[in-house]
Amino acid sequence: MILIHIALRNLLTHKVKSAIVGGLLVFAAFLIIVGLSLISSIDKSMSKSIVNSVAGHIQLQQKGAKDELSIFGQMGSNEIGYIHNFAEVRKKIEALPEVAAIIPMGIDSSIVFGGNVLDVKLEALRNAVKAGDKQQVDVVRRHVRRMVALLDDELKNLKGFSDAAKMSDDMKQGLIDVAAANQPTFWDSFDQDPFARLEFLENKIAKMAIGEDMLMLRYVGTDTERFRKVFDRFEMVDGAPIPPGQRGFLFNKFTYEEQVKHKTARRLDKIKDRLAEGAQVATDDEIKLWIKLNRSQYKEITYQLDDVATAEVKLALQTELDSKEEDLPKLVDAFMDVTDANFSQRYEVFYKVIAPRIRLYAIRVGDTMTINGFSQSGYATTVNVKMYGTFRFHGLDRSTMAGAFNVLDLMTYRDLLGYMTADKKAEIAKLQAASGLKELKRDTAEAELFGEGAGEQVEDTTNATPTAAAAATPTDAPAEATPAALAAGSGGGSAKVFARELEKHVYTQAELDGGVIRSTAIMLKPGVSVEEGMAKVNAAIDANKFELKALDWRAASGLVGNFVGVIYAVLAFSIFIIFLVSLVIINNSLVMSTLERTREIGTMRAIGAQRWEILLMFVVEAVVMAIVFGAIGCALGYSLVAWYGHFGILAANDFMSFLAGGPRFYPALPGWGLPVAMVAVGIVTLISTLYPAWLATRITPLAAMQDSE
Amino acid sequence: MATPSATQPIVHLSNVDKDYQLGAVTVTALRQVSLEIAPGEFTVIAGPSGSGKTTLLNLIGCVDVATRGEVVVAGRDTGKLSEGDLTRLRLNALGFIFQSFNLVGVLDAFQNVEFPLLLQKQLNAVQRKERVMDLLQRVGIAEYAHHRPGELSGGQRQRVAIARALVTRPRIVLADEPTANLDSVTGNQILDLMQELNREGTTFLFSTHDPKVVSRAGRVIRLVDGRIQAEESVEQFQSSHA
Ligand SMILES: Nc1ncnc2c1ncn2[C@@H]1O[C@H](COP(=O)(O)OP(=O)(O)O)[C@@H](O)[C@H]1O
Ligand SMILES: [Mg+2]
Repeated sequence: MILIHIALRNLLTHKVKSAIVGGLLVFAAFLIIVGLSLISSIDKSMSKSIVNSVAGHIQLQQKGAKDELSIFGQMGSNEIGYIHNFAEVRKKIEALPEVAAIIPMGIDSSIVFGGNVLDVKLEALRNAVKAGDKQQVDVVRRHVRRMVALLDDELKNLKGFSDAAKMSDDMKQGLIDVAAANQPTFWDSFDQDPFARLEFLENKIAKMAIGEDMLMLRYVGTDTERFRKVFDRFEMVDGAPIPPGQRGFLFNKFTYEEQVKHKTARRLDKIKDRLAEGAQVATDDEIKLWIKLNRSQYKEITYQLDDVATAEVKLALQTELDSKEEDLPKLVDAFMDVTDANFSQRYEVFYKVIAPRIRLYAIRVGDTMTINGFSQSGYATTVNVKMYGTFRFHGLDRSTMAGAFNVLDLMTYRDLLGYMTADKKAEIAKLQAASGLKELKRDTAEAELFGEGAGEQVEDTTNATPTAAAAATPTDAPAEATPAALAAGSGGGSAKVFARELEKHVYTQAELDGGVIRSTAIMLKPGVSVEEGMAKVNAAIDANKFELKALDWRAASGLVGNFVGVIYAVLAFSIFIIFLVSLVIINNSLVMSTLERTREIGTMRAIGAQRWEILLMFVVEAVVMAIVFGAIGCALGYSLVAWYGHFGILAANDFMSFLAGGPRFYPALPGWGLPVAMVAVGIVTLISTLYPAWLATRITPLAAMQDSE
Repeated sequence: MATPSATQPIVHLSNVDKDYQLGAVTVTALRQVSLEIAPGEFTVIAGPSGSGKTTLLNLIGCVDVATRGEVVVAGRDTGKLSEGDLTRLRLNALGFIFQSFNLVGVLDAFQNVEFPLLLQKQLNAVQRKERVMDLLQRVGIAEYAHHRPGELSGGQRQRVAIARALVTRPRIVLADEPTANLDSVTGNQILDLMQELNREGTTFLFSTHDPKVVSRAGRVIRLVDGRIQAEESVEQFQSSHA
């Protein structure tokens, strides 16, 4: 068609106009393509991060709950309600052909004391005494004695600062006990009755030393076995998964490294990472700070070393530093003063010589850890649970957001939650009635719940150790009584035995599904869109009259979920602005070119072209421009996206890596991106052509007659 | 529509006035103009600058309408036609040759000539090509068929323009000072061509203020201040300018 020819010819002939209009259109198309690719890829990868780590595609929470679920939102208990009928919900929702799985969960955070070095050393001392290893007893005892002396010093310092009148009686008594344990007489007579002395140290002194490793842990209480299988980002790093149906805790490797690892070691790791990224000690303020802390906090290391270890470390450091210094603190200080040149050597020595002799992690795989929660009714609850290992969410290793999630079994979670279902209350009441006791001893009652065998063993140990009563934490109100709470305690032997029994207990699926939970994650089958899933799940909720509210992963994840919406808005807005500017500029330049072509258009009209044919010519020209420049812009944008899609963009920080769903971000153009960009460019071009085209149709054939050359 | 016969005039004007409104002032460019053009004529409208030649051609060319009086072109009263109909009349019954050639700069000679045929949508590509090439041949620039106007001389351009005016086989070809932008030699060649084409059957009506050009005409309509001063034969004109 001649009009297309004219349009193309015009583009080539009016170079300046074409350059301006073309440049704008190319840029607009480019921006749309790149922007859409980035956003849709972020959306996709972030949805993977969120969906496949903890949220699932859809979350259900109690309908009418005060707070909306916010999985990645702020810590702290929010009132998101409870789900009591999970078993039934599961049956109905899992029956939907669109649903792959539904997982019960509750997200909470609690305080965990890492257990202190004194505890560990006291256990070592007890073992040495039991084994009758005189030499070992001597070494450990000297270490413990030194630790007690340090503790006494510290507490006396503390006392100087605080008002004695305001001190609790417990605290006052504690100070007296520690002072007593710091007397030479206490130690001189140690061998006469080592178990009594140990008892005293374990029960009265060790608790005064807590506080150095207070961890605030966020965890998702869930059906651990199903969680592990359904969330494909989940993978074990150390240790083993929690055996199906059993109690247990898994650390997120990120949290484990950040919070549980020995501070000095952690700082050395960070320095190593930072140097690997190309930083230099001299110019990096953070590295300088870490070095300063490592040097000043030499006690973190020296405090943990007994005589033998002290001698070994001292020798190694003297060799390493080529020094005759006898004072270990000074050696550690000098050793920690690392430079670019010696860092890798020092790092190696640290892990070879020092690390094996200190507690590298406050809680190790296989340890039983004590979680201090606040139950929903406001009582402090304390449970013991075994740490089975560490895991990570694949690709989200560095993300603080995903890395904050640890995993806890449902039963322990419920104990911490302290929420008792009517069923459970009734069950306990029944047991009480059956046993004919006025108030059933809580530990026995719970033991009954878990069967005779467990109960008997617990009772045996209860009889053997007089501290059993103390193990049943007196802080708990009867309604809060839970097996694990009973098992928790300040180091009493029987509690530990009881906890061990609990650890071994395998709960049935019915038990797991039967109790209270706070929300559930629904994973959809591949290929099912979230919208479709939401519709089906909502229909099922209505059909079964469940008191539940469904939220898609975006809504359920809190602020992060809206992030994509926000950048969409930002992109949309900037594209809108660019379009507006383009519109004005293109319009102007087309008006100018129309005026320039007045004679030509007049001639066409004179020769016999109708108005609409002139209009058509402009429309064709606009479409040709849109196609040509839109295509160029799309091609440029697509090349850029393809380039980065192939090589990836390094996620600059942990939030970026969360968005990217991995260490690198691979943008990809969604299938609908190209048509959207082309149509958008087309629309802008057409709109900006409207006015000049209208002007052109106003040109009369007389314009051809006027001579103006 | 009456079938045009050889004896019916192609153009018929009676008592035509044309006023231009310049703000509050009314300029009357044509007064009481009556004339007829018969098929086969080679007529020139002569007169000094500002005498109303262009205005008259515009009325006959259906690009403007008379203020008063009747303008009938190819049997149709232009005062009663819609703009679309006027456009169609221009396309099918008239050919235009402009003083400044007015070729479409982005199209080559062939495409410029073909353009009216494309608007007519009556011939297929093969027929169009034949018709266009024949005409380019006839005006003597077939070898420049694929040159753009910018690559052609003034005379060559005007030949292209003539071919374009003739390509639809119009009842009459109107030309407003077709040689004004050409040197006298080239102008003469163009006039030769027009004369030849006229002999072959095309009706020409053109304007000029150049006495030498007037001498080539078969009939001279003399305009002074918008009035037809005299209808004179070429001989009379020549003697009056001798
Ligand atoms: N568009 C117009 N508006 C106002 N006056 C016009 C216009 N066109 C022509 N005229 C006036 O009409 C008269 C005739 O002009 P024109 O037909 O162009 O004469 P010519 O072509 O013989 O030089 C002149 O006085 C001119 O100023
Ligand atoms: Mg004129």
